[in-house]
Amino acid sequence: MSENKTKRSEFDDVLKEQAKLQRKEKFKNDFPLYMMMLPGMIYLVCNNYLPMFGILLAFKRINYATGIIKSPWVGLDNFEYLFKTKDAFVMIRNTLLYNAFWIILDLVLAVFIALCMNEIAQRKIAKVIQPIICFPSMVSAVILSFLVYAFLSQSYGYLNTVFFKDAPIAWYTTAKYWPFILTIVHIWQSAGQNSVIYMASIGGIDKSLYESARIDGATKFEQIRYITLPLLKPMIIMMLLLSIGRIFNSDFGLFYQVPLGNGMLYETTQTIDTFVYRALMVSNNVGQSSAASVFQAVIGFFLVMFSNLLVRKINPENSLF
Amino acid sequence: MANNKKNKNKIVLMAGEKEFHYIALVIMILMMVFCIIPLILMATVSLSSEESLVRGYRFIPDKWSLDAYMFMWAKRATIFRAYGLTILVTVIGTIISLVMTSMFAYPLSRKDFKPRNVFAFILFFTMLFNGGMTASYMVWTRLFHIKDTLWAYLVPGALMNGMNVLLVRNYFNANIPYSIIEAARMDGAKDWTIYSKIMVPLSKPIMTTIGLFSALGYWNNWTAGIYYINNPKLYTIQVYLKKLMDSIQFLKTTDLSNEAVLLAQRNLPTESARMAVAIIALIPVLVVYPFIQKELIKGMVVGGVKG
Repeated sequence: MSENKTKRSEFDDVLKEQAKLQRKEKFKNDFPLYMMMLPGMIYLVCNNYLPMFGILLAFKRINYATGIIKSPWVGLDNFEYLFKTKDAFVMIRNTLLYNAFWIILDLVLAVFIALCMNEIAQRKIAKVIQPIICFPSMVSAVILSFLVYAFLSQSYGYLNTVFFKDAPIAWYTTAKYWPFILTIVHIWQSAGQNSVIYMASIGGIDKSLYESARIDGATKFEQIRYITLPLLKPMIIMMLLLSIGRIFNSDFGLFYQVPLGNGMLYETTQTIDTFVYRALMVSNNVGQSSAASVFQAVIGFFLVMFSNLLVRKINPENSLF
Repeated sequence: MANNKKNKNKIVLMAGEKEFHYIALVIMILMMVFCIIPLILMATVSLSSEESLVRGYRFIPDKWSLDAYMFMWAKRATIFRAYGLTILVTVIGTIISLVMTSMFAYPLSRKDFKPRNVFAFILFFTMLFNGGMTASYMVWTRLFHIKDTLWAYLVPGALMNGMNVLLVRNYFNANIPYSIIEAARMDGAKDWTIYSKIMVPLSKPIMTTIGLFSALGYWNNWTAGIYYINNPKLYTIQVYLKKLMDSIQFLKTTDLSNEAVLLAQRNLPTESARMAVAIIALIPVLVVYPFIQKELIKGMVVGGVKG
């Protein structure tokens, strides 16, 4: 009996030894794979994971003299100060309002452009139009600010010297014009790009559906209403959900550089991203900057999770997880 | 396609179909014009003589002139330096980023590599959550001291992102049959060989797309400049442009009426030269764009659907 036992344990040992060897062998075999991932892993740690610990900064009062580690913990003070200011209200309101309005506007325009493009797709000119309407998305925010400046500059701008000759408008110091200006600039930059995705989906629709609809006497509008739009619906819903995940984010270049960082325009141009930059780099207020940036990151996390859960329900292929 | 057209002609057009077609055509042409017009204004301003600009920016100037470009030629030391630096950053950044991304994607695509799920999660989590800009800034400046070095353009937030790795991995999975890898291994090929001789050459389309977007990102990157760069010698062309705009704004707030005088006094580029610099920064993109637009537009579809 006992002999049997020792035999078995010996046998187990041999098995264990073998498994260990196998694991070793496997690791040795896979070693090149680990090495390939090493640069990427180092980068992810430095670029993504270390900053996650940086969130703790938001709960400290940073004192560069004593060093970040020795700076005192202050709990939620930074957040309290931040949300007591009018800045917090203005930047959150602006971020949400611009996003909410633009999500709808972008969607309508993108589908509309895609429908028009599809209608003329057979023509040669379509091959010129499509690249051109997509080009603005290649332009950097700095060059964009020069383009806008050419139109809005107070003394030389095209608008003031041609249309408002008698009463030049101080575009860069009057906040109330900027919701319109930014919307137009945003459309200029992204409408073409946004439409591409819908163009691809419309291109994938079975042409015979339209042929039979025409034989039944359906007009163009009816074809769009009863064939194209219903078939685009899943894509539209998915894109809407994905954009909800980004509703607390804004295009920093557009909101910071195009209005030329002008303080008089904060009322309509300040978003969370521009505030984070200004608090950190201009007014040197690390506490408020990190509070705002953590606020954005945490809410962003929940929104992305939420939107992806919904996307997964509709179309698992397009969900992140 | 010709057949299709013939058929179309045979079928009697429905009421309103022709009108619909032409309305769509007109709308798209207008859209195209809307997209081009600002670029044309910028170009003509840069080609206007300084006197004719006093009346304002025009699409057709009273007097054409190459003065702006001459002026920039005189200032070539600064501008060419910034230009060269931008090219350097773009080339190096794109290469490193492609190598890093594809090397990370290959093990993730190997179904027999068990720990891949762990690594995939580590990668994936970065797409859901981030520490925010302030924390990144602190890590890069306080821990890695990249202020006023070229690393500032290359590294923060630019080298590798989860989206691109997943796109490459999916491409590997979908387009390169596992049997090829197995066959190569039977022949004694090591993982490095499989990666460099099979995976990368066979995935040119996705590598091109990602490389182009990465290059464009580096070329257009100006935010790294305003966060991390103070030394004018390290300005890329975009950062140079940004600072140029800043100095113009500064002068404007000090004295609105005498802008031109002040500009001349400070020896800053004049109205037309300013636009000329912007044009010069845009030219490489403009020149390359016609050749790469197909890949870029394809990339917009793939990237767009995947959020």
